[in-house]
Amino acid sequence: MRILVIEDDSEAAAYMAKGLKEAGHVVDHAATGTDGLFMATSERWDAMIVDRMLPGLDGLAIIQAIRAAGNTTPVLVLSALGKVDDRVRGLKAGGDDYLVKPYAFAELLARIEALSRRVSATQPETRLRVEDLEMDLLARTVSRGGQDIDLQPREFRLLEYLMRHAGQVVTRTMLLENVWEYHFDPQTNLIDVHISRLRQKVDKDFEPALIHTVRGAGYTLRAGR
Amino acid sequence: MAKPVLRQPASLLRTTTFRLALSYLGIFTVSAMALLALVSWSTSMFIEWQVQETVDAEATGLSEVYRDRDLTGLADIINQRARQDVEGRTSYLLMGHDGHVLAGNLRAWPKEAGDMLGWVRFRILAVGGIGPGTEVLAHAYELADDHRLLVGRSLADAKRVKSAINRALGWGLAMTILLGVVGGYFTSRHMLQRVEAMGRTARRIFGGDMSQRMTLSGTDDEFDSLAASFNEMMDEIERLLEGIRTVSDNIAHDLRTPLNRLRSRIDLVLLGEHGCEDYRRTLEETLAEADNLLATFSAILTISHAESAARLERFETLDPARLAADVAELYEPLAEEKDVRLSWRAQAGLTLHGDRHLLFQALANLVDNAVKYTPAGGRVEVSVVLGDGVAIQVADTGAGIPEDARERVLERFVRLDSTRTTPGNGLGLSLVQAVARLHGATLSLGDNHPGLVVTLAFPAPTGV
Repeated sequence: MRILVIEDDSEAAAYMAKGLKEAGHVVDHAATGTDGLFMATSERWDAMIVDRMLPGLDGLAIIQAIRAAGNTTPVLVLSALGKVDDRVRGLKAGGDDYLVKPYAFAELLARIEALSRRVSATQPETRLRVEDLEMDLLARTVSRGGQDIDLQPREFRLLEYLMRHAGQVVTRTMLLENVWEYHFDPQTNLIDVHISRLRQKVDKDFEPALIHTVRGAGYTLRAGR
Repeated sequence: MAKPVLRQPASLLRTTTFRLALSYLGIFTVSAMALLALVSWSTSMFIEWQVQETVDAEATGLSEVYRDRDLTGLADIINQRARQDVEGRTSYLLMGHDGHVLAGNLRAWPKEAGDMLGWVRFRILAVGGIGPGTEVLAHAYELADDHRLLVGRSLADAKRVKSAINRALGWGLAMTILLGVVGGYFTSRHMLQRVEAMGRTARRIFGGDMSQRMTLSGTDDEFDSLAASFNEMMDEIERLLEGIRTVSDNIAHDLRTPLNRLRSRIDLVLLGEHGCEDYRRTLEETLAEADNLLATFSAILTISHAESAARLERFETLDPARLAADVAELYEPLAEEKDVRLSWRAQAGLTLHGDRHLLFQALANLVDNAVKYTPAGGRVEVSVVLGDGVAIQVADTGAGIPEDARERVLERFVRLDSTRTTPGNGLGLSLVQAVARLHGATLSLGDNHPGLVVTLAFPAPTGV
């Protein structure tokens, strides 16, 4: 993916660029708001990471400007302002996702990859399929290898989210925000317990295992390894 | 802290009270003067009217004499009356048609009267021609045969009465003004002293002595109520400052300890010769420690958000049953793993006005605690009931909290010694407390025999 990073803190930008390059992406960096806006509009990008507080031009203003110009490139807003209100403001301005500093790099990577996927899957799907795991979104049934799996409503949504992002890393926060739809900090690793329950149903009696733990980041649903 | 601005004590003449007193005095003086002028004018009108009455009565008497006894009789009576009038109060003049005086105590027909009949005002000289003489108000009548009669009365008495009244009124006005100025001065000084006292106290507080308070005069007046409000405000500020101080002490302690651990861990691994695997492990431990620090940090931030009450705008109408169900469902697998039975029950159809995310976080903290401190085989129940208002309860069958420690655990970073070994930052209940306060709810801890029951009681909905 070609990713544009608009961030004024050079060290943070270098750290971000290094990580993204290691993950196989092509990264360009703009250090001011005005440069950022110029680069965002003059080239095509697969995704953008925009810091909120920038010299020259505010991050949200950049997003508003490119959205007004009809540019739909997915944007991840990065900010030290972490209140729900700030988040809402960031998304209202046209951001697709909002990540609060300080963040784990794995979280950033997972989110930016999830963002680019979101654009490519636009047509409504009625069935999801990963290997022999099948999910019927209309009948709300799940089966693996032709064998029905009985899931609780929340387990269904959890699995649906994992399947929609098959092959990508999803973090615990992403799951909390998207499956439970609450912004909060669990003091215990609650999500792990929910995942292990889901594994019991989806992976225990089948080969190969589909739900994998990604160390230091989260989970991924994919075949093999 | 900014340097206190030293102000000159306000000059008395520039105080609001004194200016107010002066302007009231001005308005009062003007209206009093208008009133006095009116009184003075109507008095003199009345006196003149009386003089005219007297003159008319005299003239009526004389005209009767003239009718009965003719001109000579009239002249006799006039002369007789003029003689009797020793003080010269009444003037008479009977004049023949050729212009010579027939009777009376005036030497000639007054020039001011001329040929006119009716009321006339003139001045007669005093004996010897010294002084201004006396003013006379007279009535000129025409008799038969071109004779003329003038009857007048001296206005000297009326003048005296008038000036006496004016003098009295003048003195009254002067006294009023004097009293007004003096009274204004004293009230202003009194007010100024009290305001100055308040100012002094405020400057002392500003200078850093937070224990200073306004003194109340005990009269329960508006100054007292102002001072009382001020004192209440100061108590609250002092309490908040104390809170901040405690928090910063606690932050210093609770953040410094893990930071120090972090530092020494890195220090240690850099000191010796270590393999790649050692570095990796240390880094992983360091990362975990940093994550803990960040979690503590974000808990502190969430608490201060909730406490700043800036979130009211995000309030929405919620179903507390849904909230309880979501939390219970989220924690159920964790409880099951610990062999704790987590259940929830809720009265249907209740609504709650609040911040969804914060309430969820608060409830999650309570359930988290309950699950954490309930031993295997125990129970945790989340229930939503309707008392005065909606109340959410989390009850467990754990060890509970001794009564004397219940108040203390709500403070930030307080962890009971018995829980030091379990993970946590001691902010969970403080956060619940802050969220409760934001929603106007009360948080109370009770005994579940055995275990702890935490109740979040929301206020009864008011009107609307």
